[in-house]
Amino acid sequence: MTAVRTPPPNRLPARKPAAGATGRSGAQAAVSPMLSRLAAERATGVLMRERGTLFLSDGQVVHAESPASPGLDVLLTAGGALRPEGWWEAVTQAGPGQRVGRFLIDSGRVPRGALELCHLGALYDAAFFTLGPTSAPGRFRYGVAHWLGPIHPVPVDAVERETLRRRELLHRIWPEPATDTQPLIRTGRPVDVDVPRRRRTVLDHVDGARTASDISAVIGRPAFHTLVDLRRLAAAGIVTTSARQEPEPEPEPEPEPGAATAAAWPREAPGDPDIALLRRLRDALEAL
Amino acid sequence: MPGIDECLLEAMRLPGARGATVVDWTSGLALGTVGDSPNGDHEATAAEAAELARTAAENLAFAPAEGSDWSGGETPVEDLIVSNRDSYHVLRFVRTTFDSSVFLHLWLGRTDGNLALARIRLGEIAERLVLG
Repeated sequence: MTAVRTPPPNRLPARKPAAGATGRSGAQAAVSPMLSRLAAERATGVLMRERGTLFLSDGQVVHAESPASPGLDVLLTAGGALRPEGWWEAVTQAGPGQRVGRFLIDSGRVPRGALELCHLGALYDAAFFTLGPTSAPGRFRYGVAHWLGPIHPVPVDAVERETLRRRELLHRIWPEPATDTQPLIRTGRPVDVDVPRRRRTVLDHVDGARTASDISAVIGRPAFHTLVDLRRLAAAGIVTTSARQEPEPEPEPEPEPGAATAAAWPREAPGDPDIALLRRLRDALEAL
Repeated sequence: MPGIDECLLEAMRLPGARGATVVDWTSGLALGTVGDSPNGDHEATAAEAAELARTAAENLAFAPAEGSDWSGGETPVEDLIVSNRDSYHVLRFVRTTFDSSVFLHLWLGRTDGNLALARIRLGEIAERLVLG
């Protein structure tokens, strides 16, 4: 008898999960091999990537910053936890010694627990954007420390796990990432009275020009929290990306060689409401 | 002045305490953990507890009659209590002077735990956590 080897069947043409989604495999691919290596060698310094920076001390993450997320100063001063003058005094006096965090606590300006909570929120928030998918290589400079000083260091793998989990959370809420980055507009659909208060604050700042990051900076809230609310508002059909920016969906992945026509969906016809509706339907079905 | 870890350790001194966590309910992130968790995975427990907390915080049915506008860090719900055959869970929302969505989660055994005491103490700990 002859064994017949058949080639494995072609994979069904499926759109790759949107950028930022981890898919259902549950595979915990490292978000940055370079970061894992730096953690293993207990490095101290700053990792600079396309969308932000991560400060390491002895292999642990002590701080993160991203242009997409509000800084600790914004978070603390927007809600009145600290006056802007108090922040600048601390930076001036303790910045050169790289112990601004310590100074804020010791001088009684911010209670320790509050600072830890706020800073951890800011750290994971900025790390989410910093560790976002990118094709640009990261750079690491050894020996650099942030002027804030350590507040509540966290292990690299905790930050990586959380970043992946957050991508998946956004994807589960609404698989269309456009509201994460583009100017936002209200669709005109009537808003239920029971839109939760915190989400309504986000909605109130949607004005046709602001992006998620802009809104976060104005209300002094971690940007990821705003992304979550915006995805929920997009899923409810209340918020969409500004019309002028359309069509700019996430870039279609390059068709894999050998894969059947990946371009089963037409490139968007500008302004065609049917295509937009079909895309929303497809995304919603894929998210099930 | 207590930080996150000190506050969690203080919660763990309550009779019957098995585990304590600080969780952000928008993201489901565990910001600090001490002791055990029901399924042996603090991060998974935090994500599940966050869903429960979010439902309570976002639905008007659970808010006080005159409503709640979150002003001054006020949360519509103070705490949530879940009991089962062998344990209690107390989730205490934390009022902060910056924008946040944080709660303390205390898991305690039913035989040794004192629910009334735990609820009062957790409220005090939540206050000390952010006010020092």
